[in-house]
Formats: sequence, structure tokens, C-alpha cells
Amino acid sequence: MSLSRRDFLKYGGATATAGALGAGVDMLPVEAAAVSLKIKEAKAFAGVCPYCAVGCGQLIYTRDNKIIDIEGNPDTPHTLGRLCPKGAATIQLSNNPLRPTKALYRAPGSDKWEEKPIAWMYDQIAKRYYDAREKYFITKEKDKDGHDVTVNRLEAIASLGSACIDNEECYLLSKLNRTFGIVYHEHQARV
Amino acid sequence: MARTLAMFTDTSLCIGCRACQVACKQWNELGLEVPEWTGGYQNHAHFTDKTYRLVRFVEAPGAKPNGDLAWLLMSDVCKHCAQAGCLDACPTGAIYRTEFGTVNINQDVCNGCRYCVASCPFGVVSFNEQTGTAKKCTFCNDRIHNGLGPACAKACPTDSIQFGFRDELVAKANKRVETLKGMGFKDAQLYGADSGGFLGGLNAFFLLLAKPATYNLPDNPKLPQRNVVVDSLLSIGSAVLVGLGAMLAFRERGKGGR
Repeated sequence: MSLSRRDFLKYGGATATAGALGAGVDMLPVEAAAVSLKIKEAKAFAGVCPYCAVGCGQLIYTRDNKIIDIEGNPDTPHTLGRLCPKGAATIQLSNNPLRPTKALYRAPGSDKWEEKPIAWMYDQIAKRYYDAREKYFITKEKDKDGHDVTVNRLEAIASLGSACIDNEECYLLSKLNRTFGIVYHEHQARV
Repeated sequence: MARTLAMFTDTSLCIGCRACQVACKQWNELGLEVPEWTGGYQNHAHFTDKTYRLVRFVEAPGAKPNGDLAWLLMSDVCKHCAQAGCLDACPTGAIYRTEFGTVNINQDVCNGCRYCVASCPFGVVSFNEQTGTAKKCTFCNDRIHNGLGPACAKACPTDSIQFGFRDELVAKANKRVETLKGMGFKDAQLYGADSGGFLGGLNAFFLLLAKPATYNLPDNPKLPQRNVVVDSLLSIGSAVLVGLGAMLAFRERGKGGR
């Protein structure tokens, strides 16, 4: 390709002009547009911190059914969006490579732990709950005069609630316990 | 240019819970680090490439109004100086000032030369071996560009870290100093609030209950660039001296009439 001196000056001048114009372009809006927020496209759910009895409100941001961020909910009247260090790290409950995905089971009398699937563990809990109730349920008891009184209670199981469970969970737990006839119905806040 | 944003850290309110440190790690997805034994509750000893917020625990004898030992707590962070040493030193232009007055490192442009690490008067910038770039607090650049405050300021349960427009925060901070002085904290002072002061003022400024040196902060931080003129002149001077010495040495030898 041959380039005459006139062409060279023409293209060179055009390039220099373009460069000079480009140098004057304000890049700030471009930079601002390039700053993306990871929770922008996420759905926010209001939740309650699971750790202590204060019950700080949290916003749980999810995208594609995965939790991507958890932070304080500014609409909570008693915390205004603040969290303690443990609450600020709540995302590690869910997104954590160290989180156990299998249940560990030690059979009665055994000296070692066995790995079991989580579903097996749930079945076992339900089964043992049921068996204990079948075996130890008290329908009738004699009062001091020797009359039979219907009591319908279960003394073989005790329930100890946690301070971390919220109103709805407390409601369900009470319902479950009373359906079973459990009388040892305790809570951490009362201990 | 938008109004300058700032973070005001009122150390008199800090309870040392480190929620800011955790919230920072969580939002910026910074990795795990092996804890260090620093002799106290503080962890880590310094800023690292994975620790942008750091609560300093300082035991200061006699710093309480009644002369008792005070446990001073201070949530330290990149100061986003108005005259930033790192920004001036960066040869690639990776470190830039945003429209909010904060200083940020563009990770795509940074070539890992580490001039900024040496140029920061506060030892904030750190080098990440995995990415090969310099890392520091971004003032949650993604959040402030989308109408949210920094993660640390949002998490702080005692409002020790406050986020807002700089002029408003400075006025608030001055009032707070007066209150604390009235309570007997005679050394209560602002660090970096004065935009006519050192480094043109800090966009993350502090209220301290003792002299800055107690918190391991420099009393009068200077840009390393200030040494350039003197050091250059000294180099030229020593070069001249060495040259003269060499010439003298050769003349002696010549006189010997070899």
C-alpha cells in the first residue's frame, strides 16, 4: 500500500484531532455506569436473625434460589438495620463449605459415629417420638379417692424451647407438644 | 462532581464488637485469614488484603477523666485522603478518585507494582498475592453508587461509624467534641476533619479520646512525595561529591609520576 505525503498528513491530522477530542471526554459517567451492585437484581425477603433472643430484623437477598447477601433490615423498629458481628455473618449458615450435609449417628452402646443421610435422621426422630408416645402415654390415673380420672398425658418426653425460635415456631411447637400430651413444656427464657 | 461523602468514626461510642469488620468481609467477599495473637483482643495486627476494616484495641493508662486506665477502641479504615499518597504514586492510573471524593483501586488496571503500598501514610493499602493487585477499602464503591451506605456504617450497632455528607458530619463531630470535653475528656479531638489540615483532610475522619500517637496514628502524616525534591538534591549533591572525590584520587595518582 502506497501512502502519499498528502494522505499521511490527512490521516495523521484526523487521528490527532480524534485523540484531542477523546482526551476531553468525561469518563466519570461511564465509570459510574460500570459499577454494578450484586443485590440489584436480587429478591429481598425479611427475616429474623436466628442467633439470640434480641431478634434483629434481617433482609435476605436471593438470586436464582441462592442466598447472596444477608444484612440488617432498616425497617425493624428496635434495631434500625444494625447487626452484631455474629448476625452480620449469618450468610455463613447457608453458604458455607464447612456446613454438614450428613447426619452423624451413634447407636446405643456403640463407640463410633456413623454417617447417615439427613432424611434417615428425620425418619428416626419421627419414629422414636411415636414409639415413646405409644409406650408411655397415660390415659387414666387414680386420684386420692381411688376414682379413675382421664389425664391423657405423656411424661416420657420433655420439650425445651430455644430463645432463638420466633413466634410462629413457638406456636407450632406448643401445638405439637400439646397434641402429644407433653407436660414438660419448657423454654430457655424460663429456666 | 457530587457532594463529598464521608465516614465519621466516633471512637468514644465504639464498643469493639467488630460488626463492621465482619460486615465488610461479608459484603466484599473477602477470604478467611488465620487469626494472629496480638496480645489482646485485636485481630489482625495490621490491615491486610483481606481486612479493610480493623478495630484497634488500645490500652492507654491515664486516659480516662479520673486518671484510670482506658481501653480505647477504634474502628480503623482507609482514610480516603483528599491528597492521597497512593493515588499520586500510582503509575498506571488504576487508583482514581470517584465523584464522591473517595479513592478507589481499579482492579483491572492495577499491575501490582506496589508503589501505593509504600506511599500510604497509614499503611492501609495491601498487596494480594493471589490476584497480583493492590487492595484496600473501596468505601463500598458499588453500594454508594447505588444509593446505599457502606456495609460497615450500616452494621455498626452504636452509630460509632456514621456515613453521610462530609460538611454535615464535620459539624456534628465538632459538637460531639464539645460534649466530650464537657464530660472531662480533655484530649478529645478530631483527626482529619479539617480540610485545611494535613493531607487536605480525610474523607474518613475520626474522633479520638487521646492523642493520635496513642492510637498508632501519625500526628502529622505527610505524603512521601514531599521528600522527592530534598532527596533528589541530596542525590545530586552526593553524586557531585563522589565525582570530586574520584577526580581528586586520580590527581593524586597522577602526581605520583607513575
